[in-house]
Amino acid sequence: MTRVAIVTGAAKPDSIGAGVAKGLREEGCEVVVADLYEEGFSSNYLCIRTDVSDPASVDAMISKVIEKHRRIDILVNAVGGSWGITQQDLTAPPPRGFRGLTNCTLEDWRTILGANLDSAYYCSRAAAPYLKKQGGAIVNISSVAARKGIPPGAEGSSGPYAVAKAGVMAMTRQFALELGEFGVRVNCVAPGVVASGRLNRVLSFSRANQIPEGSMAQIPMGRVGTVEETAALVVALCTDDTSYMTGVVIDVNGASYAA
Amino acid sequence: MPLKGLKGRKALVTGAASGIGQAVVKKLRAEGVEVAGTDIHKLGDVIVCDLTDAGQVEDLAGKVSGVDFLINVAGGPVAPSARNTLPALPKNTLGFEDISEAQWGSVIAANLTSAFLVCREFAPKMKARKFGRIVNFTSIAARRGSSRVGVHYAAAKGGIVGLTKTLALELGPHNVTVNAIAPGFIKTPRIAEANWGGVTEEFIQSLPLKRAGKPDDIAGVVAMLCSDAGGYVSGATIDVNGGWYFGP
Repeated sequence: MTRVAIVTGAAKPDSIGAGVAKGLREEGCEVVVADLYEEGFSSNYLCIRTDVSDPASVDAMISKVIEKHRRIDILVNAVGGSWGITQQDLTAPPPRGFRGLTNCTLEDWRTILGANLDSAYYCSRAAAPYLKKQGGAIVNISSVAARKGIPPGAEGSSGPYAVAKAGVMAMTRQFALELGEFGVRVNCVAPGVVASGRLNRVLSFSRANQIPEGSMAQIPMGRVGTVEETAALVVALCTDDTSYMTGVVIDVNGASYAA
Repeated sequence: MPLKGLKGRKALVTGAASGIGQAVVKKLRAEGVEVAGTDIHKLGDVIVCDLTDAGQVEDLAGKVSGVDFLINVAGGPVAPSARNTLPALPKNTLGFEDISEAQWGSVIAANLTSAFLVCREFAPKMKARKFGRIVNFTSIAARRGSSRVGVHYAAAKGGIVGLTKTLALELGPHNVTVNAIAPGFIKTPRIAEANWGGVTEEFIQSLPLKRAGKPDDIAGVVAMLCSDAGGYVSGATIDVNGGWYFGP
């Protein structure tokens, strides 16, 4: 039986989601891309325009997947970020300046929590009844920001993002407990800085050796992560190689933070 | 699909004669890795070595070269010796007041000193070649504590976490990753001989995945960490326990 995998946030080029969609397709999965960014839709996948911060839009997406493929085996919640996450600012340049919890707007807070935490909750909740039928895997994307926060002055990320991503870690554990008996494993990957299309846009204006989470000098491996290796880790969490792992966060940050 | 980045690499697996180590050897070979195994217990093609003896570890390095992946599985709650290579595991709980200094010392040596000595011998060569993956073995006993297997084992495995994090910092600039796997309850033949360590079916059913782990469940995670998927993972401790306990 061909496994059906939904990857959210997989339409933008050079994104972790796009790497995961490609990797799961290579694993033989039928891949569904759920994203707002229609310009990035590919004929390799069933692409469904979805606002994952809107539960009605998520329910409609899941219905379409079931109508077309009749099953869901894998869900990867890869939508996220501090900007470029709503229809209005989808392709806008990154906002300048540090956005912490003390100086962000309440709209920032709601939007960022919506795109990073609510989104993964709505998708997991809506897909769960189908995942439970035959078992499967959910993989969430968190961030090193959840471990160590965003230092004041850093640009390109935000305080609400760090909080939302910590919520994603807790949500991973809770869903793991609730879905384990149905053979659904729920795990999380927490990347450090990844050389995605989004990072390149931040680096275009930030000071030398400055990345959204601070300084490059804080990374012992002396480099940022690649989309390919981050995606490979997500894909591995969907395969039998990790069949006894659930509720786990894998930190992938070049030894910049060891939980 | 095979994992990327494994075929044609070379691995050294310690504790290769049985249980998890044996499963790791099998998995890596199936992925196209050339594997050398070592154990204090002679079985099949393993190189016999007492990893608590620095001289023997040095001799081992003379026999095995070009190691890309170093998998430090050797260890256990009861320290083996040259004369008694697979001593029986305790069938009941082991309180800390009942542990002698000799037992403490031998379990620390078998689980922690052994990993230190092997890393010290093989890491410089990885540094020189600007590539390496080291996978150490800690335990759920270090994550949540354990009176079943004893404080000496929990403390040694806790030491493995500190060793792993520090080596990750030191070796990161040389493109050598260092991680630890923390298995939960894994059904190995040794555990079976010890009456499953007193673990009940009720306990197994209380786990979120409702089953005990198998050595193969751990071997898959080792392979993942050695593959391209593990290229930027370093300093991490990865719980493989069916949801029994969530690390940080």
